[in-house]
Amino acid sequence: MAHYAMVIDTRKCIGCQSCTVACRIQNDLATELIYNPVVTVGPKGIFPNVFMRHVPLLCMHCANTPCVDACPTKASQQREDGIVWVEQEKCVGCKACIMSCPYGARASHDGVVWKCTFCKDRVDEGEKPHCVNTCHQKARFFGDMEDPESEVFQLVNSNNADCLLNELNTQPSVYYI
Amino acid sequence: MESKHGDNWGWMLAVDFFFAGMGGAAVATAGILDFAGLGLTSAAAGFAGAVCIGIGALLLILELGKPLRAWRVFTNPKAVLTFGAWNMTLAAGLGFAFGTFALPFAPWAGVIALKKIVAGLGVITGLIVAAYPGVLLARHKARPFWHGPGIIALFLTSSLVTGLSLHLLCHALLPAANPVLMGPLSIAAVILLALQLVFWLGYILVKRSAGTEYEAAAAERLVSGDLAAGFLAYLAGGTLLPLLLIGQASPVLTALGALLTVGGGALMRLLTIKAGEYRTWLPGEQSFRARLARGDEAFMTAWAQ
Repeated sequence: MAHYAMVIDTRKCIGCQSCTVACRIQNDLATELIYNPVVTVGPKGIFPNVFMRHVPLLCMHCANTPCVDACPTKASQQREDGIVWVEQEKCVGCKACIMSCPYGARASHDGVVWKCTFCKDRVDEGEKPHCVNTCHQKARFFGDMEDPESEVFQLVNSNNADCLLNELNTQPSVYYI
Repeated sequence: MESKHGDNWGWMLAVDFFFAGMGGAAVATAGILDFAGLGLTSAAAGFAGAVCIGIGALLLILELGKPLRAWRVFTNPKAVLTFGAWNMTLAAGLGFAFGTFALPFAPWAGVIALKKIVAGLGVITGLIVAAYPGVLLARHKARPFWHGPGIIALFLTSSLVTGLSLHLLCHALLPAANPVLMGPLSIAAVILLALQLVFWLGYILVKRSAGTEYEAAAAERLVSGDLAAGFLAYLAGGTLLPLLLIGQASPVLTALGALLTVGGGALMRLLTIKAGEYRTWLPGEQSFRARLARGDEAFMTAWAQ
């Protein structure tokens, strides 16, 4: 069974927010919802030793899901391919998943919870998520982490791929280089 | 992505935790007193716990984004919230059933074996309800103020002492079934209040000195930040003062102490929920959120259409 993952090369990201805009438009998100912001770390240091990096944030589609475990209605679910999503018809808006998500990847709107789904409907058709397709810097990679032939597999198993908040043992499916 | 700081639990959930915890502990206390052969503090005390749990459940439903779907919270047995919801329902039902044994016209009032079974189950479910908000919060790995087992002790202690205070209030305000009970209940309440004071001071000390920088910052809000006044009021008026008042010879002072304890329990829940609203920030996230425009969503939505 495939296990979908995303690798983001922060050395290539220029913080243009194209992925943020593509996600919002293509998924027709409400005004107050942002699944996919790009935050900026820095600038830090003193010239000439300065440092700045752009970090796109999104749902980490963790293997060890605090949000799914917290959901009392089974509205928050994880597919066999690792994609975490919310079935809004079952959601009661208790915010247990919002509170338990360490990455702030969920938001409530219209009484229910919304989040990034890795564009699962597109993935089911063999397409890549909108954020990946729209990135003109080719900073995002998406694919099957279990397939040794895939680019994602090779990047994930490279020495410099890392996850956010590793210490929480959520085992994210989004990696950063 | 979290788009506004309003995506936190609100005051209704805090008050739910308060009523449910107090009610659960009151149901458990009623059962323990029965097993000890001491009987009910008053006919009303048996029902009081069930009513409190019911109020808590009502507030929990009102806090939901979709209150009409509230029944769905019973459907995932792996979730702590579901476990808590089932136990709240059972504890409320058992508390109510236990109360009916004090009614002389109830046909089952004299069936001792049945009463013991109801009391025993009430003790178990009541204690679970008393502790479960703490268990729920302790599992939040990225909420620095809540994470860890310490918060379970804080909630359990507070629930037990407010549950006992509810019994003391019922005893003071309503016709007492057994006046001998005031002494043991007051002693238990004083011990729990002293424990509560020690646990809170220890908790703040550990969070400030032995935790992460985020834990220290969260604890600092209670010590010298925006929640400091409330926290001082809780420690002084909701713990220390009742500690001195409960156990006094005067029933009025004891009742006043119990009332302050109950008020302190509610304040403690509000402060704890508020202190836990900040997550551990991701790199760069804090400045991003600070720059987000807020309050114009309705206008922007209308404008886009």
